[in-house]
Amino acid sequence: MKGKRHRLVILTIAILALCAGTYAPTPTHALAQAPKYKEAPMLAELVKAGKLPPVGQRLPEDPLVVETFESIGQHGGMWRRGFLGPGDFNNYHRVVYDALVRYSPDGTKVDPKLASKVEPSKDFTSWTVILRKGAKWSDGTPFTADDIMFWYNDVLLNKDLTPAIPFWMRNKDGSTVVVEKINDNTVRWVYREPNTTFLMELANKDSGDRVYAVFLPSNYLKQFHVKYTDKAQLDRMAADAKFRTWVELFAARNHPPENPMRPTMAAWVPVTRVSDQMFILRRNPYFVGVDKAGNQLPYIDFIQFKFFTDAVSLNMAAIAGQLDLQERHISLANYPVFKEQEKKAGKYRIILWPTFGGTDASVSINQTFAKDPDLAKLFQNKDFRIAMSLAINRNEIKESAFLGLGEPRQPVAAPWHPYYPGDAYAKKYTEYRADEANRMLDRIGLDRKDAEGFRLFPGTTRRATIELSVVPAFGPWPDIAQLVAKDWERVGIRTIVQVRDRSLHFTMRQANDLQVEIWNQDTSGFPFTGVPKYDPRSLLYGTLTTGPLWKQWYDTGGREGVEPPAETKRIVELIDRGKTVGPRDQVRIAQEIFKIWVDNMYEIGIIGLTPMIQGVVVANVRMRNVPDKLGNDWPLRTPGNARPETFFFKK
Amino acid sequence: MLRVIVQRLLLLPVLLLVFSILVFVLVQAPPGDFLTSYVSMLAASGSSVDMAQVEALKHQFGLDQPIHIQYVRWMESLLKGDLGLSLEYQRPNRELIGEFLLLTVLLALLSFIFTWMIAIPAGIYAATHPRSFLDYALAVLNYVGVATPNFLLALVLMWLAFSHFGISITGLFSPEYVQAPWSLERVVDLLKHIWLPMIILGIAGTARLTRIMRANLLDELNKPYVVTARAKGLSEWRLVLKYPVRIALNPLVSTIGWYLPQLFSGSLIVATVMNLPNIGPLLLRALVSQDMYLAGSILLIYCFLTIVGTLISDVLLAWADPRIRMEG
Repeated sequence: MKGKRHRLVILTIAILALCAGTYAPTPTHALAQAPKYKEAPMLAELVKAGKLPPVGQRLPEDPLVVETFESIGQHGGMWRRGFLGPGDFNNYHRVVYDALVRYSPDGTKVDPKLASKVEPSKDFTSWTVILRKGAKWSDGTPFTADDIMFWYNDVLLNKDLTPAIPFWMRNKDGSTVVVEKINDNTVRWVYREPNTTFLMELANKDSGDRVYAVFLPSNYLKQFHVKYTDKAQLDRMAADAKFRTWVELFAARNHPPENPMRPTMAAWVPVTRVSDQMFILRRNPYFVGVDKAGNQLPYIDFIQFKFFTDAVSLNMAAIAGQLDLQERHISLANYPVFKEQEKKAGKYRIILWPTFGGTDASVSINQTFAKDPDLAKLFQNKDFRIAMSLAINRNEIKESAFLGLGEPRQPVAAPWHPYYPGDAYAKKYTEYRADEANRMLDRIGLDRKDAEGFRLFPGTTRRATIELSVVPAFGPWPDIAQLVAKDWERVGIRTIVQVRDRSLHFTMRQANDLQVEIWNQDTSGFPFTGVPKYDPRSLLYGTLTTGPLWKQWYDTGGREGVEPPAETKRIVELIDRGKTVGPRDQVRIAQEIFKIWVDNMYEIGIIGLTPMIQGVVVANVRMRNVPDKLGNDWPLRTPGNARPETFFFKK
Repeated sequence: MLRVIVQRLLLLPVLLLVFSILVFVLVQAPPGDFLTSYVSMLAASGSSVDMAQVEALKHQFGLDQPIHIQYVRWMESLLKGDLGLSLEYQRPNRELIGEFLLLTVLLALLSFIFTWMIAIPAGIYAATHPRSFLDYALAVLNYVGVATPNFLLALVLMWLAFSHFGISITGLFSPEYVQAPWSLERVVDLLKHIWLPMIILGIAGTARLTRIMRANLLDELNKPYVVTARAKGLSEWRLVLKYPVRIALNPLVSTIGWYLPQLFSGSLIVATVMNLPNIGPLLLRALVSQDMYLAGSILLIYCFLTIVGTLISDVLLAWADPRIRMEG
């Protein structure tokens, strides 16, 4: 009875959806004019009506041929997802992954996408990017070298739009890297010294995080740029849209999720805005990709992001089977419920994509803490840090906070990653040895205890009390913090857990006010690019609190801040060298960085390789070509690296 | 009376100016600014932001200016009758608030009507039939209604709907109508969804109002004027409705004013739980992300509504109760 009612409800919903015209009409017949490439039924109608050129004319001369994970798919359908409002725009960027080149599904190499080829010079000082000839933006205008030159000349080199040149576009001497047009389809980046991380950087210049992508629809955006449009007119346009300056106007009009008018190169283009209740994407008729059978991609016609006021109601919708493929905002804590419903309702399957390495909860200790000299001395003592690592009962945390998933490990790359430094380092100091921790603490002068059994600072009657700051983000960090505190108190170190709001925690991190914090280490696959947490120069703003004043020292050329110890300087040297050497040497260098990192225990890894960060995947049983294994990290734009344009609904 | 109204209206801009400063200071009071919360939000969803990027965003959002300049800018646009631009949404606040306001007002109005339509007859019945079976039954229901938090009720109903019918009853529209322009079908779809939040939001109020109505009316029913009227042979129904009920309504009428702003803020948790496109969650979000222009604008509208609401209650009170009118 219940099952019947169930089916009836689904049927009603399906019929309603069909009536509303959200699904494309059923295919009538194949197209005659383009035998080589096949059209999506949704577009065939438009082509027949003369509103769109046939697929052969829309694709570039050498389309991107995308491998499918399972099989050749079928066109049609709508992929339902959930999002949490305009601040969640990276949800869009992760799905479309609109870049010149992109990471492979396993995340270990970079493949061509919009660019057909990227070639380095022999000494890696220059990189030639060759675009697909005849490729077009989603509005049908040609996609050429000028679109990259517009980014370089008018956006990157424009002080108003780019107040500070990003790290990857600077030479060692601080000068800006030169980008030059070779011909209509070819652009060359010229560096002063060898650069071997160019591809990895390029793979992330897709306008995620509101950074300007390296290729911009110049024909469209010129109307918002002061160089091409009369200032008075531009000011009027800005004022009409309530913006104060043309810079704000330009930034907003450039950001695809905020402006459906802006052409993109992605497989799907927005038709509504991310600030709407329903953010909808429609297939891009000009997308450059086809499958091996010549079907133009993507398979799925629409993507619908439904707005949820908070992640809990989003999880509820996912449990009810109302989302077709969702990993973002799915909480690991709900994993048992999902598993139960997976069997009972049979609407979806659960896939786990563990993180790409590092640890999903790690404790970092502020090496430049200045508010309390006794604590500062303690934090800088390597034996203290090692003792603190040995005092943590990781298996207990794994069972209670991670539902038994993942493994105890230090913040280094995963075993399947080329950079893996070996078990000796991944597991170093991760055993639970409270006795040894006690002995080490005694040895470093914390051998006197008060009446309650807490250790006192050497030569004082003051308790050695640590504050552990934690933010309820991603996973069960506050619970983990409590468990760590309990373990530390067991060896006599008084630990106070402070659960803080994200903004407050970040402000304190910025101000060098945090003592010890819990965050994650997700950069172990990318120690040379992006914002690696191993690099003291990229500390703060979303990374770790290992040594805020070290950063200041580097930023001011040594005038302010705290001079880092030799090991840290060595890490910086290694990172810089890693950017200039070939892949084989990069492996060696990455491993050396991890070894220094683990030996010094600036950051104590707890549990890693869990699906905590957007790795619990709820997938409709009809949704195919979704890989079971996938590299999962932000630089990979997961699930963007899974080739979402090949996902399809089995009819 | 007219003089009072004019006085109040003249005071309105001054009050709003004071409130705007207060509101702006309060929204800015938590540590950090919009950018800190923005970057921490990005970091908490897996991104890491480079310093050059933070610099660019700061410039782009106009946050490189001192606070008082930011306030003056907001004030300038307010004086032009414009609520400024939301930092997070990158859209004019007026457009955003307007979109949410219509549905908020509609829902509030419906739950208000629901509350009064049930509470007043129930209160009258309970007062005129004290210690009857139905009176006790209503009392029990009322206590449950007041004691159960709205959001809990919403959660229980949502769970029941899911476990029995496999559907999740959230939002005010079916997916295909969320973005659709207004049409008859969309209104029908809205009506199909809005009754549940209407009942949930109305229930506590209904229970409370019934009790107030009952108590007030009971006080009135024994007064000499009622006895006199009854002695003069007025039919019981006419008698009760014409005098004591009108007086018993007094305290209810005087709280209509508070009801106005409460309608917007009171539904916050329910709206969040039920995923309603309401102004409450919009404000909460704006406060959390320190989107000061949006939060400030909504709070200022709240202040405005409180002032106007009090004015309305005064006018209504004067209309309903001749004694007050005389004093004026």
